[in-house]
Amino acid sequence: MSRPEARIPLADLPTPGQIRMIEVGDHRIGLIRVGDEVHALADRCPHRGAPLCSAGRTVHGIELGDEVPVRGAERALLRCPWHKWDFDIASGRCLVHPTLRARRYRVTVEHEDVVVRLEHPR
Amino acid sequence: MLVDCDIHVGYHSLRDLLPYLDSATAELVLESGTNGLGMPSYPWYHPAGWLRTDTYDRDAAAEGAQLVGQTLDRVRDSVLDPFDVTVGILTPDEAAAFAVLPNPLLAAALCRGYNDWLLTQWLEHEPRLRGLLVVTPQHPEAAADEIRRLGEREEIAGVFLPGAARIPYGNPVHDPIWRACDDLGLPVAIHTHFEGVGIAGPVTGAGMPDFYTEYHALTGAGMFGHFTSILCHGIFERFPRTRVMFMEGGLVPFVGLLWRLDTAWRGCRTEVPHCVRPPSEYVRDHVAWTTQPLEEPPEDRMLAPAIEGLEPQRTLCFSSDYPHWDFDDPRQTLKRLPAEWRDAVAHGNAARFFGLETAVPA
Repeated sequence: MSRPEARIPLADLPTPGQIRMIEVGDHRIGLIRVGDEVHALADRCPHRGAPLCSAGRTVHGIELGDEVPVRGAERALLRCPWHKWDFDIASGRCLVHPTLRARRYRVTVEHEDVVVRLEHPR
Repeated sequence: MLVDCDIHVGYHSLRDLLPYLDSATAELVLESGTNGLGMPSYPWYHPAGWLRTDTYDRDAAAEGAQLVGQTLDRVRDSVLDPFDVTVGILTPDEAAAFAVLPNPLLAAALCRGYNDWLLTQWLEHEPRLRGLLVVTPQHPEAAADEIRRLGEREEIAGVFLPGAARIPYGNPVHDPIWRACDDLGLPVAIHTHFEGVGIAGPVTGAGMPDFYTEYHALTGAGMFGHFTSILCHGIFERFPRTRVMFMEGGLVPFVGLLWRLDTAWRGCRTEVPHCVRPPSEYVRDHVAWTTQPLEEPPEDRMLAPAIEGLEPQRTLCFSSDYPHWDFDDPRQTLKRLPAEWRDAVAHGNAARFFGLETAVPA
């Protein structure tokens, strides 16, 4: 039996910075575009279980660059709605905790669709 | 069963209180400054937002508004229903600043208006909710009058005092407040709020922190002062029905503070002869703490031993701090505590502390 998947027409993808919620099986997933890449993250913060994608926001963030605080070039971070911890959208890595990662799903482009499967990204 | 001891609600604007204010106070609310009366607030901003972003409509928040008002439906949908809350204790948001206004008469009038608003707009519509009265520590007689005016209402669970204060709460200047609470058998909840704001003293003896990050880690500082003041002034000897809950000031630091206070009492007992028992004995019978924000040590196994000195089975009560950014989900909080503490923390201790045994049977 094939695992569930979701197909989203390329034309319906979120614009950069937006989060589009989808469901694959019983998994709630946020689709987020950073540049030309589309990422799929679980709607659950690995810290305390907050609705990370459905209530979170994408942000630029501020990082120290050459000893000067610099705003990130694009909305590449996802900020948890509860405790405001930031996650790198592309990797799921939490920026303020060494071992926490937001769960990510495999995203491929097939014909005119983006396909999200309940598999780890390759 | 769950008692959530700290659910913040507030008005969208001070003007929401107009129907509950006397005419002179209403005039001040409308005509002060350039756009009506405003409350003093923190000199710092949370860099990512004061509130959980799923607790309000971002587009509907008034421009410049910091503490966005809540609605009863939202509180039902976000807290009471999903977490199966048996009783939720409503705590103020911006209204906590009335206690640090320099004008004690204006503060007392605003407290009366807010308390009537709380009863009319919230507590009379939802039987799962109870409220804490906001009062004026800068005007203790007015505070006592307000406690006696409304303190016997079934919807009122106790009295709210912020951590911010001009004078520590054990000082005899506050005796009218303690006497009124003692007479009515009402507990007092001291909740970190607005330290360093208005007429309140600085956050620490070191002076003002520069960053909100510091302030948030230091929120217990004002409460430590009230804790030692209340114990060393013998409040629980003189007002034996009084109970005090410390909200949102941390747990671990209180353990060491209590041990140090016991040691100091042994050597300095002649200075405080009205304290006939060591402070820790009064704590056992009269003091409670709330959980949020539950400290997050590097490993969860380190938490329980670190707070055991507070006797959490008797003293610790769950709180979520909804809708603030450092909200704690009860499922997560209780899971992090030893199984044998959970029922007491979830509801038993709070039911006893607030006298909710009918609503929250053991």
